[in-house]
Amino acid sequence: MTDRPAAVREPGSYRDPSGFVFRRDGVLYRQINASFADDWAAFESSGLHTALVSEGILVADEPASVDLAPEPGAVAVIQPDEIGFISHPFEWSFSQLKDAALLTLRAQSMAGERGMTLRDASAYNVQFRDGKAVLIDTLSFERAAGDQPWKPYRQFCENFLAPLALMAHRDGRLGQLLRTWVDGVPLDLASELLPRRTRFLSPGLAAHVHLHARAQRQHAGESTPDGATAPRAVTMSETRRLALLDHLRRTVEGLKLPAQGTVWADYADQTSYSEAGTTSKEALVRRQLEAVAAEGGRRAWDIGANTGRYSAIAADAGFWVLALDIDWAAVERHYLALRATGERRIMPLLADIAEPSPGIGWANAERAPLIDRSNADVVIALALVHHLAIGRNVPLPMISRLMARLSPHLIIEWVPKSDRMVERLLAAREDVFADYSPEGFRAAFRTDFEIVEETPIEDSGRVLFRMRRHP
Amino acid sequence: MHLVFAYIDPGAGSLVIQAIIAGLVSIPFFFRNAIRNTFGRFRRKPTDGAAATGSSASADKGAANSDSE
Repeated sequence: MTDRPAAVREPGSYRDPSGFVFRRDGVLYRQINASFADDWAAFESSGLHTALVSEGILVADEPASVDLAPEPGAVAVIQPDEIGFISHPFEWSFSQLKDAALLTLRAQSMAGERGMTLRDASAYNVQFRDGKAVLIDTLSFERAAGDQPWKPYRQFCENFLAPLALMAHRDGRLGQLLRTWVDGVPLDLASELLPRRTRFLSPGLAAHVHLHARAQRQHAGESTPDGATAPRAVTMSETRRLALLDHLRRTVEGLKLPAQGTVWADYADQTSYSEAGTTSKEALVRRQLEAVAAEGGRRAWDIGANTGRYSAIAADAGFWVLALDIDWAAVERHYLALRATGERRIMPLLADIAEPSPGIGWANAERAPLIDRSNADVVIALALVHHLAIGRNVPLPMISRLMARLSPHLIIEWVPKSDRMVERLLAAREDVFADYSPEGFRAAFRTDFEIVEETPIEDSGRVLFRMRRHP
Repeated sequence: MHLVFAYIDPGAGSLVIQAIIAGLVSIPFFFRNAIRNTFGRFRRKPTDGAAATGSSASADKGAANSDSE
Protein backbone atom coordinates (compact mmCIF):
# COMPACT_ATOMS: atom_id res chain seq x y z
CA MET A 1 0.00 0.00 0.00
CA THR A 2 2.69 2.48 0.96
CA ASP A 3 4.84 1.94 -2.10
CA ARG A 4 2.18 2.84 -4.62
CA PRO A 5 2.88 5.98 -6.70
CA ALA A 6 1.85 9.28 -5.15
CA ALA A 7 -1.35 10.91 -6.33
CA VAL A 8 -1.29 14.38 -7.84
CA ARG A 9 -4.51 16.32 -7.86
CA GLU A 10 -5.28 18.11 -11.14
CA PRO A 11 -4.88 21.83 -10.48
CA GLY A 12 -8.18 22.73 -12.16
CA SER A 13 -10.20 20.29 -10.06
CA TYR A 14 -10.95 22.00 -6.77
CA ARG A 15 -14.34 23.71 -6.92
CA ASP A 16 -16.67 20.77 -6.52
CA PRO A 17 -16.78 19.13 -3.06
CA SER A 18 -18.33 15.97 -4.50
CA GLY A 19 -15.10 14.72 -6.02
CA PHE A 20 -11.98 15.59 -7.94
CA VAL A 21 -9.61 14.44 -10.65
CA PHE A 22 -6.11 13.21 -9.91
CA ARG A 23 -3.26 11.33 -11.50
CA ARG A 24 -1.44 8.36 -10.12
CA ASP A 25 1.50 7.03 -12.09
CA GLY A 26 0.43 9.22 -15.00
CA VAL A 27 -3.04 7.66 -15.14
CA LEU A 28 -6.07 9.92 -14.82
CA TYR A 29 -8.66 9.03 -12.15
CA ARG A 30 -11.65 10.68 -10.53
CA GLN A 31 -12.51 10.28 -6.85
CA ILE A 32 -16.21 10.40 -5.94
CA ASN A 33 -16.94 11.44 -2.37
CA ALA A 34 -19.46 9.96 0.05
CA SER A 35 -21.38 13.26 0.08
CA PHE A 36 -22.27 12.58 -3.56
CA ALA A 37 -22.96 8.85 -3.21
CA ASP A 38 -26.75 9.05 -3.68
CA ASP A 39 -26.51 11.21 -6.78
CA TRP A 40 -23.82 8.97 -8.22
CA ALA A 41 -26.04 5.93 -7.61
CA ALA A 42 -28.97 7.70 -9.29
CA PHE A 43 -26.76 8.65 -12.23
CA GLU A 44 -26.10 4.93 -12.75
CA SER A 45 -29.55 3.55 -11.97
CA SER A 46 -31.40 6.10 -14.11
CA GLY A 47 -29.50 4.84 -17.13
CA LEU A 48 -28.24 8.36 -17.81
CA HIS A 49 -24.58 7.43 -17.47
CA THR A 50 -24.87 4.66 -20.09
CA ALA A 51 -27.03 6.77 -22.41
CA LEU A 52 -24.66 9.75 -22.37
CA VAL A 53 -21.62 7.61 -23.01
CA SER A 54 -23.23 5.55 -25.76
CA GLU A 55 -24.35 8.72 -27.56
CA GLY A 56 -20.81 10.09 -27.33
CA ILE A 57 -21.93 13.05 -25.20
CA LEU A 58 -19.86 12.11 -22.16
CA VAL A 59 -16.39 10.53 -22.03
CA ALA A 60 -16.48 6.86 -21.16
CA ASP A 61 -15.01 5.64 -17.90
CA GLU A 62 -14.08 2.39 -16.20
CA PRO A 63 -14.61 1.66 -12.54
CA ALA A 64 -11.31 1.56 -10.65
CA SER A 65 -10.35 0.34 -7.18
CA VAL A 66 -11.54 2.67 -4.43
CA ASP A 67 -8.15 2.01 -2.77
CA LEU A 68 -6.66 4.37 -5.31
CA ALA A 69 -8.49 7.33 -3.74
CA PRO A 70 -5.90 9.78 -2.42
CA GLU A 71 -8.20 11.45 0.10
CA PRO A 72 -10.59 10.11 2.74
CA GLY A 73 -14.32 10.00 2.10
CA ALA A 74 -14.29 8.24 -1.27
CA VAL A 75 -17.14 5.94 -2.26
CA ALA A 76 -15.83 5.23 -5.72
CA VAL A 77 -12.95 5.87 -8.08
CA ILE A 78 -13.34 5.86 -11.83
CA GLN A 79 -10.81 5.97 -14.63
CA PRO A 80 -12.13 8.22 -17.40
CA ASP A 81 -10.90 7.98 -20.99
CA GLU A 82 -8.27 10.62 -21.36
CA ILE A 83 -8.55 13.43 -23.90
CA GLY A 84 -5.29 13.67 -25.85
CA PHE A 85 -5.10 17.44 -25.90
CA ILE A 86 -6.92 19.75 -23.49
CA SER A 87 -8.03 22.98 -25.14
CA HIS A 88 -9.49 26.09 -23.54
CA PRO A 89 -12.74 27.76 -24.65
CA PHE A 90 -10.98 30.97 -25.70
CA GLU A 91 -8.90 28.85 -28.06
CA TRP A 92 -12.03 27.75 -29.91
CA SER A 93 -13.61 29.42 -32.87
CA PHE A 94 -17.24 30.53 -32.86
CA SER A 95 -18.65 27.23 -34.12
CA GLN A 96 -16.55 25.18 -31.73
CA LEU A 97 -17.97 27.17 -28.80
CA LYS A 98 -21.44 26.93 -30.29
CA ASP A 99 -21.18 23.14 -30.64
CA ALA A 100 -19.98 22.95 -27.04
CA ALA A 101 -23.00 25.03 -25.96
CA LEU A 102 -25.45 22.81 -27.83
CA LEU A 103 -23.80 19.72 -26.38
CA THR A 104 -24.30 21.11 -22.88
CA LEU A 105 -27.99 21.75 -23.55
CA ARG A 106 -28.39 18.29 -25.07
CA ALA A 107 -26.84 16.74 -21.96
CA GLN A 108 -29.27 18.68 -19.76
CA SER A 109 -32.18 17.59 -21.90
CA MET A 110 -31.18 13.91 -21.67
CA ALA A 111 -30.69 14.29 -17.92
CA GLY A 112 -34.14 15.85 -17.57
CA GLU A 113 -35.76 12.88 -19.29
CA ARG A 114 -34.31 10.63 -16.61
CA GLY A 115 -35.07 12.66 -13.51
CA MET A 116 -31.57 14.09 -13.33
CA THR A 117 -30.13 17.51 -14.01
CA LEU A 118 -26.84 19.05 -15.07
CA ARG A 119 -25.49 20.95 -12.11
CA ASP A 120 -22.84 23.00 -13.81
CA ALA A 121 -22.37 24.39 -17.29
CA SER A 122 -18.76 25.48 -17.47
CA ALA A 123 -17.34 25.59 -20.97
CA TYR A 124 -14.22 23.95 -19.53
CA ASN A 125 -16.28 20.81 -18.98
CA VAL A 126 -16.38 20.37 -22.74
CA GLN A 127 -13.44 19.13 -24.78
CA PHE A 128 -12.95 18.08 -28.37
CA ARG A 129 -12.19 14.48 -29.22
CA ASP A 130 -12.18 12.90 -32.68
CA GLY A 131 -13.52 16.14 -34.13
CA LYS A 132 -16.51 16.31 -31.79
CA ALA A 133 -17.40 18.08 -28.59
CA VAL A 134 -17.70 15.82 -25.54
CA LEU A 135 -18.41 16.43 -21.85
CA ILE A 136 -15.57 15.41 -19.57
CA ASP A 137 -17.06 16.02 -16.12
CA THR A 138 -18.70 12.74 -15.15
CA LEU A 139 -19.78 14.24 -11.81
CA SER A 140 -21.86 17.01 -13.40
CA PHE A 141 -25.18 15.24 -12.91
CA GLU A 142 -27.41 15.10 -9.84
CA ARG A 143 -30.98 14.15 -9.02
CA ALA A 144 -33.45 16.82 -10.09
CA ALA A 145 -35.75 18.24 -7.44
CA GLY A 146 -39.21 18.51 -8.96
CA ASP A 147 -39.78 22.23 -8.96
CA GLN A 148 -36.34 23.78 -9.00
CA PRO A 149 -34.99 26.18 -11.61
CA TRP A 150 -31.95 25.21 -13.65
CA LYS A 151 -29.08 26.08 -11.34
CA PRO A 152 -26.35 26.59 -13.95
CA TYR A 153 -28.53 28.95 -16.02
CA ARG A 154 -26.33 31.90 -15.17
CA GLN A 155 -23.17 29.90 -15.81
CA PHE A 156 -24.49 28.81 -19.19
CA CYS A 157 -25.26 32.40 -20.19
CA GLU A 158 -21.85 33.63 -19.05
CA ASN A 159 -19.81 30.75 -20.44
CA PHE A 160 -21.57 30.26 -23.75
CA LEU A 161 -24.36 32.61 -24.70
CA ALA A 162 -22.66 35.94 -23.93
CA PRO A 163 -19.39 35.23 -25.78
CA LEU A 164 -21.24 33.66 -28.73
CA ALA A 165 -23.58 36.66 -28.98
CA LEU A 166 -20.66 39.07 -28.84
CA MET A 167 -18.83 37.17 -31.58
CA ALA A 168 -21.92 37.00 -33.77
CA HIS A 169 -23.18 40.55 -33.25
CA ARG A 170 -20.04 42.56 -32.50
CA ASP A 171 -16.71 41.01 -33.44
CA GLY A 172 -15.35 37.49 -33.85
CA ARG A 173 -12.35 38.35 -31.68
CA LEU A 174 -14.45 38.92 -28.58
CA GLY A 175 -14.30 35.22 -27.72
CA GLN A 176 -11.00 36.28 -26.18
CA LEU A 177 -12.92 37.79 -23.27
CA LEU A 178 -13.09 34.23 -21.93
CA ARG A 179 -9.36 34.43 -21.44
CA THR A 180 -9.76 37.24 -18.91
CA TRP A 181 -12.93 35.87 -17.29
CA VAL A 182 -12.28 32.19 -16.62
CA ASP A 183 -15.77 31.82 -15.12
CA GLY A 184 -17.50 33.40 -18.10
CA VAL A 185 -18.14 36.85 -19.52
CA PRO A 186 -19.96 39.08 -17.00
CA LEU A 187 -23.44 39.70 -18.35
CA ASP A 188 -23.46 43.42 -17.59
CA LEU A 189 -20.36 43.75 -19.76
CA ALA A 190 -21.86 41.64 -22.53
CA SER A 191 -25.05 43.67 -22.37
CA GLU A 192 -23.10 46.89 -22.66
CA LEU A 193 -20.96 45.67 -25.56
CA LEU A 194 -23.75 44.16 -27.63
CA PRO A 195 -25.34 46.41 -30.26
CA ARG A 196 -28.55 48.13 -29.15
CA ARG A 197 -30.59 46.31 -31.77
CA THR A 198 -30.08 43.03 -29.87
CA ARG A 199 -32.29 44.47 -27.10
CA PHE A 200 -35.26 44.76 -29.42
CA LEU A 201 -34.75 42.50 -32.40
CA SER A 202 -33.40 39.40 -30.72
CA PRO A 203 -35.82 38.10 -28.08
CA GLY A 204 -33.33 35.45 -26.92
CA LEU A 205 -30.53 37.92 -26.25
CA ALA A 206 -32.93 40.51 -24.89
CA ALA A 207 -34.05 37.98 -22.29
CA HIS A 208 -31.01 35.88 -21.45
CA VAL A 209 -28.36 38.61 -21.67
CA HIS A 210 -29.90 42.08 -21.33
CA LEU A 211 -32.74 41.41 -18.89
CA HIS A 212 -30.63 38.84 -17.12
CA ALA A 213 -27.87 41.41 -16.54
CA ARG A 214 -30.44 43.86 -15.23
CA ALA A 215 -31.91 41.31 -12.86
CA GLN A 216 -28.45 40.51 -11.54
CA ARG A 217 -27.90 44.19 -10.80
CA GLN A 218 -31.25 44.51 -9.06
CA HIS A 219 -30.77 41.46 -6.90
CA ALA A 220 -27.09 41.96 -6.20
CA GLY A 221 -26.22 40.93 -2.65
CA GLU A 222 -29.32 38.86 -2.03
CA SER A 223 -27.48 35.60 -1.89
CA THR A 224 -25.05 36.79 0.76
CA PRO A 225 -24.83 34.24 3.58
CA ASP A 226 -25.10 36.74 6.43
CA GLY A 227 -28.86 36.58 6.09
CA ALA A 228 -29.40 40.31 5.56
CA THR A 229 -31.70 39.21 2.81
CA ALA A 230 -32.35 35.54 2.44
CA PRO A 231 -31.99 33.87 -0.93
CA ARG A 232 -35.25 33.85 -2.74
CA ALA A 233 -37.45 30.83 -3.06
CA VAL A 234 -37.82 30.31 -6.77
CA THR A 235 -39.81 27.42 -8.11
CA MET A 236 -40.35 26.33 -11.66
CA SER A 237 -42.52 23.64 -13.16
CA GLU A 238 -41.11 20.93 -15.39
CA THR A 239 -42.80 22.43 -18.47
CA ARG A 240 -41.26 25.79 -17.78
CA ARG A 241 -37.85 24.25 -17.33
CA LEU A 242 -38.21 22.49 -20.68
CA ALA A 243 -39.44 25.70 -22.30
CA LEU A 244 -36.46 27.61 -20.95
CA LEU A 245 -34.05 25.01 -22.22
CA ASP A 246 -35.74 24.97 -25.61
CA HIS A 247 -35.54 28.74 -25.78
CA LEU A 248 -31.85 28.72 -24.90
CA ARG A 249 -31.23 26.15 -27.63
CA ARG A 250 -33.10 28.22 -30.21
CA THR A 251 -31.22 31.33 -29.16
CA VAL A 252 -27.85 29.62 -29.50
CA GLU A 253 -28.80 28.00 -32.80
CA GLY A 254 -29.94 31.37 -34.12
CA LEU A 255 -26.54 32.97 -33.58
CA LYS A 256 -24.57 33.19 -36.80
CA LEU A 257 -21.35 34.91 -37.73
CA PRO A 258 -21.70 37.64 -40.32
CA ALA A 259 -20.38 36.38 -43.66
CA GLN A 260 -17.04 38.10 -43.81
CA GLY A 261 -13.51 36.91 -44.36
CA THR A 262 -10.31 38.33 -42.98
CA VAL A 263 -7.00 38.82 -44.67
CA TRP A 264 -5.75 35.50 -43.33
CA ALA A 265 -8.62 33.29 -44.29
CA ASP A 266 -8.02 34.16 -47.95
CA TYR A 267 -4.29 33.79 -47.56
CA ALA A 268 -4.05 30.26 -48.93
CA ASP A 269 -5.35 31.50 -52.26
CA GLN A 270 -2.87 34.36 -52.56
CA THR A 271 0.51 33.00 -51.55
CA SER A 272 3.52 33.70 -53.68
CA TYR A 273 3.48 30.12 -54.92
CA SER A 274 3.05 29.13 -58.52
CA GLU A 275 1.22 25.89 -59.24
CA ALA A 276 4.55 24.09 -59.67
CA GLY A 277 5.72 25.56 -56.38
CA THR A 278 2.62 24.34 -54.55
CA THR A 279 2.92 20.83 -55.97
CA SER A 280 6.59 20.73 -55.05
CA LYS A 281 5.95 21.98 -51.51
CA GLU A 282 3.12 19.52 -50.89
CA ALA A 283 5.18 16.58 -52.07
CA LEU A 284 8.16 17.67 -49.98
CA VAL A 285 6.13 18.22 -46.83
CA ARG A 286 4.50 14.82 -47.28
CA ARG A 287 7.88 13.13 -47.67
CA GLN A 288 9.32 14.83 -44.57
CA LEU A 289 6.26 13.94 -42.50
CA GLU A 290 6.52 10.31 -43.61
CA ALA A 291 10.15 10.36 -42.50
CA VAL A 292 9.11 11.59 -39.04
CA ALA A 293 6.29 9.04 -38.92
CA ALA A 294 8.83 6.32 -39.73
CA GLU A 295 10.73 7.38 -36.62
CA GLY A 296 7.59 6.88 -34.53
CA GLY A 297 6.01 10.35 -34.73
CA ARG A 298 2.25 10.31 -34.17
CA ARG A 299 1.19 13.84 -33.21
CA ALA A 300 1.89 17.00 -35.15
CA TRP A 301 1.40 20.66 -34.33
CA ASP A 302 0.84 22.62 -37.52
CA ILE A 303 1.63 26.19 -36.47
CA GLY A 304 0.15 28.80 -38.77
CA ALA A 305 -2.14 26.17 -40.27
CA ASN A 306 -4.52 28.69 -41.86
CA THR A 307 -7.42 26.64 -43.21
CA GLY A 308 -5.48 23.40 -43.02
CA ARG A 309 -4.00 22.52 -46.42
CA TYR A 310 -0.90 20.99 -44.81
CA SER A 311 -2.73 19.70 -41.73
CA ALA A 312 -4.63 17.43 -44.12
CA ILE A 313 -1.36 16.15 -45.57
CA ALA A 314 -0.10 15.45 -42.05
CA ALA A 315 -3.32 13.60 -41.20
CA ASP A 316 -2.93 11.53 -44.36
CA ALA A 317 0.61 10.71 -43.30
CA GLY A 318 -0.88 9.18 -40.15
CA PHE A 319 -0.65 12.04 -37.66
CA TRP A 320 -3.14 13.43 -35.18
CA VAL A 321 -2.86 17.14 -35.90
CA LEU A 322 -3.33 20.26 -33.80
CA ALA A 323 -3.85 22.99 -36.39
CA LEU A 324 -3.04 26.32 -34.75
CA ASP A 325 -3.74 29.66 -36.30
CA ILE A 326 -3.75 33.22 -35.07
CA ASP A 327 -6.86 34.19 -37.04
CA TRP A 328 -10.28 33.26 -35.72
CA ALA A 329 -11.83 33.32 -39.18
CA ALA A 330 -9.29 30.82 -40.51
CA VAL A 331 -9.86 28.53 -37.50
CA GLU A 332 -13.60 28.86 -37.98
CA ARG A 333 -13.40 27.99 -41.67
CA HIS A 334 -11.10 25.09 -40.94
CA TYR A 335 -13.38 23.69 -38.21
CA LEU A 336 -16.48 23.97 -40.41
CA ALA A 337 -14.71 22.25 -43.31
CA LEU A 338 -13.54 19.40 -41.07
CA ARG A 339 -16.97 19.04 -39.47
CA ALA A 340 -18.59 18.86 -42.91
CA THR A 341 -16.31 16.05 -44.05
CA GLY A 342 -16.30 14.20 -40.72
CA GLU A 343 -12.51 14.45 -40.43
CA ARG A 344 -11.59 13.32 -36.91
CA ARG A 345 -7.81 13.53 -36.80
CA ILE A 346 -7.42 17.32 -36.95
CA MET A 347 -8.16 19.76 -34.13
CA PRO A 348 -8.20 23.43 -35.17
CA LEU A 349 -7.12 25.79 -32.41
CA LEU A 350 -7.03 29.56 -32.14
CA ALA A 351 -3.62 30.55 -30.80
CA ASP A 352 -0.82 33.01 -31.41
CA ILE A 353 2.50 31.24 -31.08
CA ALA A 354 4.22 34.59 -30.51
CA GLU A 355 1.99 35.13 -27.48
CA PRO A 356 0.69 31.69 -26.49
CA SER A 357 -2.15 31.16 -23.99
CA PRO A 358 -0.77 31.74 -20.50
CA GLY A 359 -1.56 29.74 -17.36
CA ILE A 360 -4.77 31.20 -15.96
CA GLY A 361 -7.15 30.78 -13.06
CA TRP A 362 -6.14 29.99 -9.48
CA ALA A 363 -2.40 30.36 -8.89
CA ASN A 364 -1.96 30.58 -12.68
CA ALA A 365 -2.21 26.80 -12.62
CA GLU A 366 -5.90 26.04 -13.08
CA ARG A 367 -5.70 26.11 -16.87
CA ALA A 368 -2.30 25.20 -18.26
CA PRO A 369 -0.30 27.39 -20.65
CA LEU A 370 -0.26 26.32 -24.29
CA ILE A 371 3.47 25.55 -24.30
CA ASP A 372 3.10 23.15 -21.35
CA ARG A 373 0.35 21.30 -23.19
CA SER A 374 2.60 20.36 -26.09
CA ASN A 375 2.22 16.72 -27.01
CA ALA A 376 3.82 17.16 -30.41
CA ASP A 377 6.27 14.73 -31.93
CA VAL A 378 6.78 17.16 -34.77
CA VAL A 379 6.14 20.84 -35.33
CA ILE A 380 5.24 21.93 -38.84
CA ALA A 381 6.11 25.58 -39.37
CA LEU A 382 5.39 26.52 -42.96
CA ALA A 383 5.42 30.13 -44.11
CA LEU A 384 5.80 31.12 -40.47
CA VAL A 385 9.38 32.12 -39.78
CA HIS A 386 9.15 35.53 -41.51
CA HIS A 387 6.00 36.42 -39.60
CA LEU A 388 7.81 35.76 -36.32
CA ALA A 389 11.26 37.09 -37.21
CA ILE A 390 10.21 40.15 -39.17
CA GLY A 391 6.52 40.66 -38.39
CA ARG A 392 7.03 40.28 -34.63
CA ASN A 393 10.76 41.07 -34.28
CA VAL A 394 11.60 37.71 -32.66
CA PRO A 395 15.33 36.88 -33.11
CA LEU A 396 15.91 33.58 -34.95
CA PRO A 397 17.70 31.87 -32.00
CA MET A 398 14.61 32.49 -29.84
CA ILE A 399 12.36 30.95 -32.48
CA SER A 400 14.62 27.91 -32.58
CA ARG A 401 14.53 27.59 -28.77
CA LEU A 402 10.74 27.68 -28.66
CA MET A 403 10.43 25.08 -31.42
CA ALA A 404 12.87 22.87 -29.50
CA ARG A 405 10.71 23.19 -26.38
CA LEU A 406 7.64 22.15 -28.32
CA SER A 407 8.83 18.99 -30.05
CA PRO A 408 11.78 16.77 -30.99
CA HIS A 409 11.20 17.07 -34.74
CA LEU A 410 10.75 20.18 -36.80
CA ILE A 411 9.68 20.71 -40.40
CA ILE A 412 10.25 24.37 -41.14
CA GLU A 413 10.16 26.49 -44.24
CA TRP A 414 12.78 29.16 -44.80
CA VAL A 415 11.37 32.25 -46.50
CA PRO A 416 14.10 34.53 -47.91
CA LYS A 417 14.08 38.32 -47.84
CA SER A 418 13.59 38.38 -51.60
CA ASP A 419 10.22 36.64 -51.17
CA ARG A 420 7.17 38.71 -52.07
CA MET A 421 5.59 38.08 -48.65
CA VAL A 422 8.70 39.27 -46.84
CA GLU A 423 8.97 42.30 -49.11
CA ARG A 424 5.41 43.10 -48.13
CA LEU A 425 6.28 42.87 -44.41
CA LEU A 426 9.27 45.15 -44.94
CA ALA A 427 7.47 47.58 -47.24
CA ALA A 428 6.65 50.19 -44.62
CA ARG A 429 9.48 49.75 -42.16
CA GLU A 430 13.22 49.85 -41.78
CA ASP A 431 15.06 46.59 -42.41
CA VAL A 432 16.68 45.98 -39.03
CA PHE A 433 17.06 42.26 -39.67
CA ALA A 434 20.68 41.84 -40.69
CA ASP A 435 20.77 38.26 -39.37
CA TYR A 436 17.75 37.24 -41.42
CA SER A 437 19.66 35.21 -43.99
CA PRO A 438 19.97 31.51 -44.85
CA GLU A 439 23.29 31.42 -42.96
CA GLY A 440 21.82 33.21 -39.95
CA PHE A 441 18.85 30.83 -39.99
CA ARG A 442 21.01 27.69 -40.12
CA ALA A 443 23.34 28.98 -37.41
CA ALA A 444 20.44 29.87 -35.12
CA PHE A 445 18.70 26.51 -35.46
CA ARG A 446 21.90 24.42 -35.24
CA THR A 447 22.16 25.43 -31.59
CA ASP A 448 19.09 23.33 -30.78
CA PHE A 449 18.69 21.03 -33.78
CA GLU A 450 20.57 18.86 -36.22
CA ILE A 451 19.57 19.70 -39.79
CA VAL A 452 18.62 16.33 -41.28
CA GLU A 453 17.50 17.44 -44.70
CA GLU A 454 17.24 20.69 -46.59
CA THR A 455 15.48 20.90 -49.96
CA PRO A 456 14.71 23.94 -52.11
CA ILE A 457 11.05 24.33 -52.99
CA GLU A 458 10.69 24.62 -56.74
CA ASP A 459 9.98 27.96 -58.32
CA SER A 460 9.97 29.94 -55.05
CA GLY A 461 13.38 30.64 -53.53
CA ARG A 462 12.13 29.04 -50.30
CA VAL A 463 13.75 26.04 -48.63
CA LEU A 464 12.17 23.24 -46.60
CA PHE A 465 14.19 21.97 -43.63
CA ARG A 466 13.70 18.86 -41.56
CA MET A 467 15.47 19.01 -38.21
CA ARG A 468 15.94 16.76 -35.21
CA ARG A 469 16.42 18.18 -31.72
CA HIS A 470 19.82 17.55 -30.12
CA PRO A 471 19.52 14.81 -27.53
CA MET B 1 -39.28 27.39 1.42
CA HIS B 2 -37.38 26.08 -1.52
CA LEU B 3 -33.82 27.25 -1.34
CA VAL B 4 -31.52 26.32 -4.13
CA PHE B 5 -28.37 24.56 -3.06
CA ALA B 6 -25.55 24.37 -5.54
CA TYR B 7 -21.79 24.39 -5.31
CA ILE B 8 -21.71 27.10 -7.93
CA ASP B 9 -23.53 30.32 -7.11
CA PRO B 10 -26.68 30.30 -9.21
CA GLY B 11 -27.12 34.03 -8.51
CA ALA B 12 -30.25 35.46 -6.93
CA GLY B 13 -31.07 37.67 -9.91
CA SER B 14 -30.40 34.82 -12.33
CA LEU B 15 -32.89 32.58 -10.51
CA VAL B 16 -35.61 35.23 -10.49
CA ILE B 17 -35.22 36.25 -14.13
CA GLN B 18 -34.94 32.60 -15.16
CA ALA B 19 -38.36 31.90 -13.66
CA ILE B 20 -39.89 34.94 -15.36
CA ILE B 21 -38.38 34.14 -18.77
CA ALA B 22 -39.37 30.48 -18.44
CA GLY B 23 -42.95 31.57 -17.72
CA LEU B 24 -43.03 33.73 -20.83
CA VAL B 25 -41.45 31.28 -23.22
CA SER B 26 -43.53 28.38 -21.96
CA ILE B 27 -46.59 29.85 -23.74
CA PRO B 28 -45.22 29.60 -27.32
CA PHE B 29 -43.49 26.38 -26.28
CA PHE B 30 -46.83 24.86 -25.30
CA PHE B 31 -48.51 25.88 -28.55
CA ARG B 32 -45.63 24.74 -30.70
CA ASN B 33 -45.75 21.34 -29.10
CA ALA B 34 -49.52 21.19 -29.47
CA ILE B 35 -49.24 22.02 -33.18
CA ARG B 36 -46.43 19.52 -33.65
CA ASN B 37 -48.44 16.80 -31.94
CA THR B 38 -51.48 17.50 -34.10
CA PHE B 39 -49.75 17.76 -37.47
CA GLY B 40 -46.97 15.37 -36.59
CA ARG B 41 -49.55 12.57 -36.54
CA PHE B 42 -50.18 13.01 -40.25
CA ARG B 43 -46.59 13.60 -41.14
CA ARG B 44 -45.07 10.73 -39.28
CA LYS B 45 -46.89 7.88 -41.06
CA PRO B 46 -44.71 7.68 -44.20
CA THR B 47 -41.48 7.94 -42.18
CA ASP B 48 -42.57 4.93 -40.16
CA GLY B 49 -42.68 2.90 -43.32
CA ALA B 50 -39.23 4.11 -44.26
CA ALA B 51 -37.89 3.46 -40.78
CA ALA B 52 -39.26 -0.07 -40.80
CA THR B 53 -37.08 -0.94 -43.77
CA GLY B 54 -34.09 0.75 -42.12
CA SER B 55 -32.07 -0.99 -39.49
CA SER B 56 -31.33 -1.10 -35.76
CA ALA B 57 -31.40 1.67 -33.20
CA SER B 58 -32.71 4.66 -35.14
CA ALA B 59 -35.59 2.66 -36.61
CA ASP B 60 -36.49 1.29 -33.17
CA LYS B 61 -36.42 4.76 -31.69
CA GLY B 62 -38.65 6.15 -34.44
CA ALA B 63 -41.13 3.37 -33.89
CA ALA B 64 -41.09 3.83 -30.14
CA ASN B 65 -41.79 7.55 -30.48
CA SER B 66 -44.74 7.15 -32.80
CA ASP B 67 -46.21 4.37 -30.69
CA SER B 68 -46.39 6.53 -27.59
CA GLU B 69 -49.68 8.34 -27.17
